[in-house]
Amino acid sequence: MSVILKTTKIIENQIDQFLDIVSECALLFGLGIEDYLAERTSQFEERLEAIRQNERKADELRVHIEKYLYEHTLIPENRGDVLAILENTDEVVDHIKDTILQFSIEQPKILSEFDDLFLQTTRASVQAVEMLASGVRSFFRDLYAVSNYIHKVYFFEKEADHLAERLKRQIFSTELDLANKVHLRYFTYQVEAISDYAQAVCDRLAIYVIKRQL
Amino acid sequence: MGFIFLTSGLFLGWSLGANHHGNIFGAAVQTKMIKFKYAALISSIFVILGSVAEGSGGSATLNRLGSVNAAAGAFTVALATAISVALMTRIKLPVSTSQAIVGAIIGWNIFAGMLTDYNSLLSIVTSWVVAPILAASFAFGLYFLFKHFLNRSSVHILELDLLNRWALLIFGAFGAYSLGANNIANVVGIFVSVSPFHDINLLPGLTITGLQQLYFWGALSIAVGIYTYSERVMSTVGTDLYKLSPITGLIVVISEALVLYLFGSKQLQHLLLSMHLPTIPLVPISSSQGVIGAVIGVGLAKGGKNIHFDTMGKISMGWVTAPLLACGLSFVLLFFVQNVFEQPVLMKTSYVFDKNVLLELKARGINLDYLTDVNGRQYDSARSMLADLDQMKEYSRNEKVMLSQVSEIDNLQINYQNLQNTLKPETFTKEQWLAIYQINGKKYEHDWQLKNDLVSLSNEWKLKDKKYKNQVYNTELNKKYNILYAYSKVARTVTDTDKDGK
Repeated sequence: MSVILKTTKIIENQIDQFLDIVSECALLFGLGIEDYLAERTSQFEERLEAIRQNERKADELRVHIEKYLYEHTLIPENRGDVLAILENTDEVVDHIKDTILQFSIEQPKILSEFDDLFLQTTRASVQAVEMLASGVRSFFRDLYAVSNYIHKVYFFEKEADHLAERLKRQIFSTELDLANKVHLRYFTYQVEAISDYAQAVCDRLAIYVIKRQL
Repeated sequence: MGFIFLTSGLFLGWSLGANHHGNIFGAAVQTKMIKFKYAALISSIFVILGSVAEGSGGSATLNRLGSVNAAAGAFTVALATAISVALMTRIKLPVSTSQAIVGAIIGWNIFAGMLTDYNSLLSIVTSWVVAPILAASFAFGLYFLFKHFLNRSSVHILELDLLNRWALLIFGAFGAYSLGANNIANVVGIFVSVSPFHDINLLPGLTITGLQQLYFWGALSIAVGIYTYSERVMSTVGTDLYKLSPITGLIVVISEALVLYLFGSKQLQHLLLSMHLPTIPLVPISSSQGVIGAVIGVGLAKGGKNIHFDTMGKISMGWVTAPLLACGLSFVLLFFVQNVFEQPVLMKTSYVFDKNVLLELKARGINLDYLTDVNGRQYDSARSMLADLDQMKEYSRNEKVMLSQVSEIDNLQINYQNLQNTLKPETFTKEQWLAIYQINGKKYEHDWQLKNDLVSLSNEWKLKDKKYKNQVYNTELNKKYNILYAYSKVARTVTDTDKDGK
């Protein structure tokens, strides 16, 4: 039996690796934003590069997993759902990469008074992605733990929304140029949107859990 | 002529493969767990293995069709069954081939003017009700057991998928093996005496017997049926009645196998008896009816909302229609074969009410007072004998069946050497073989005379009291008697045929 399970184990490991990357990207994003706010530029660029590499690796893994599942007609009943989960989760990683890349390109000027709320919003979004990765992992192994993670993703998404709103209000209450305000609002929105992407995946995940239940 | 007779057996094999493959791999193929081509390949291999390995024993060549006493009659009865099952397959309905055969034999009985044993009818009707209920109960229980287990397990979805796939494959292979072993006799068993195949000596000590070749061709016809036409019934089992998932598909297959094993296995009955444990009653179970029951059981466990009751109604109608259709077709085709093709579809059966018969009837508790009209008379057909018996209102139907059975002239002759050459040694016990040896060459007018002789020679030929715990023993012993009767007759028929051939 162990011989039969060997090939399956390889794909299981790849799924786990993919989810590790998702989680790692979120953590790197959080650290990157901290570096950016503390003006540790070279460290920030290293984080960006690490996220870029992880994103590429996640893409490769996802394509390989999808190809394998199709070629070997595995999990016929849930294959479509699993592929959708992997693709949507990959979009979260893409968004993380795009956002941090925008920071590197556009170099928004963030006043120190916004640092705390900016960091709090980032942390809420990062937590949402981490919970998403754990939820997806549970979908493969422990179906009944998924709802717990889904609940946490919703919580952090709401928290990120709430913090982003406060940040935007604070930005627009200052004497900054409108162009600066709009620029900062855009970055606030981008950071907050990471949790929205995570929530969107969870919406689907909740349905797939019902479908997978006996 | 042998080849022509064999064609209807091969057609029956094809119909059987086409219809029954859905019971084995329908759930697996429809849930896309196993591709049809692989399912068909595995089934074909295991059907052939089961047929040749298990089916070619002496006892397996005996089957229900054995009661049809002329080759052309057997050809027609098999043809009627095959057409009936093929038509049911065409409209995607899983039916029981054994029940269709019984229906066709009843058609032959009606044509021959013989009394039909109501027990065979009762077993069909029982199976319509009991098999689905038992299988549904098992599937219902197993569903919640699986749910409980899967809720608490942390098996990866991919591992679960793989285990499920292998389980479906293994159960399917076993199912195919049993399909071959249990049904090959129905397909070609009756044609053993007219088999056109001769032994082939490949190497010194390595011979492929004519019987093995016959069984191989029968199994091959089942395999062809599986490959060419079995997808239709699969969709009924896997999707049309209730859309199964891979796990529920496995539950269906396990429930079907469990019900067939627990309620149909004589080996299990023996085992329980030997361990002094209470036994499980043996009931007639058809795999086609079992699988449908199991699908419904799963559907009910999931709330029963998505069961297509119209399809269920259609399937139930198919169960009733298949034997009725086979019966009607058999009757009509026998008429054609006898009158248009001028082939003898039944052997002349004679009945006599002589002193010996009357003594035997008295021993069996029949009141002889009302038999004065038939005393000493001989009848050349069942019809004329039954016409006279019908006048006797004093006897019940069962008593009339007994009167016809006891008075029937069988003309048996024991040929010990022939039996030794044809049957496997384990067919009878040492003591039983010894008793047969002691009556070697002896002729008997009636089968019960042979039985009485054997009982007087050995206790191992004696039936036990009619108690429930002795049921299996007595059934097995009766089976041995039937083998002995058939092979004593078969030996004579073969000799006659050989002589005619020369």
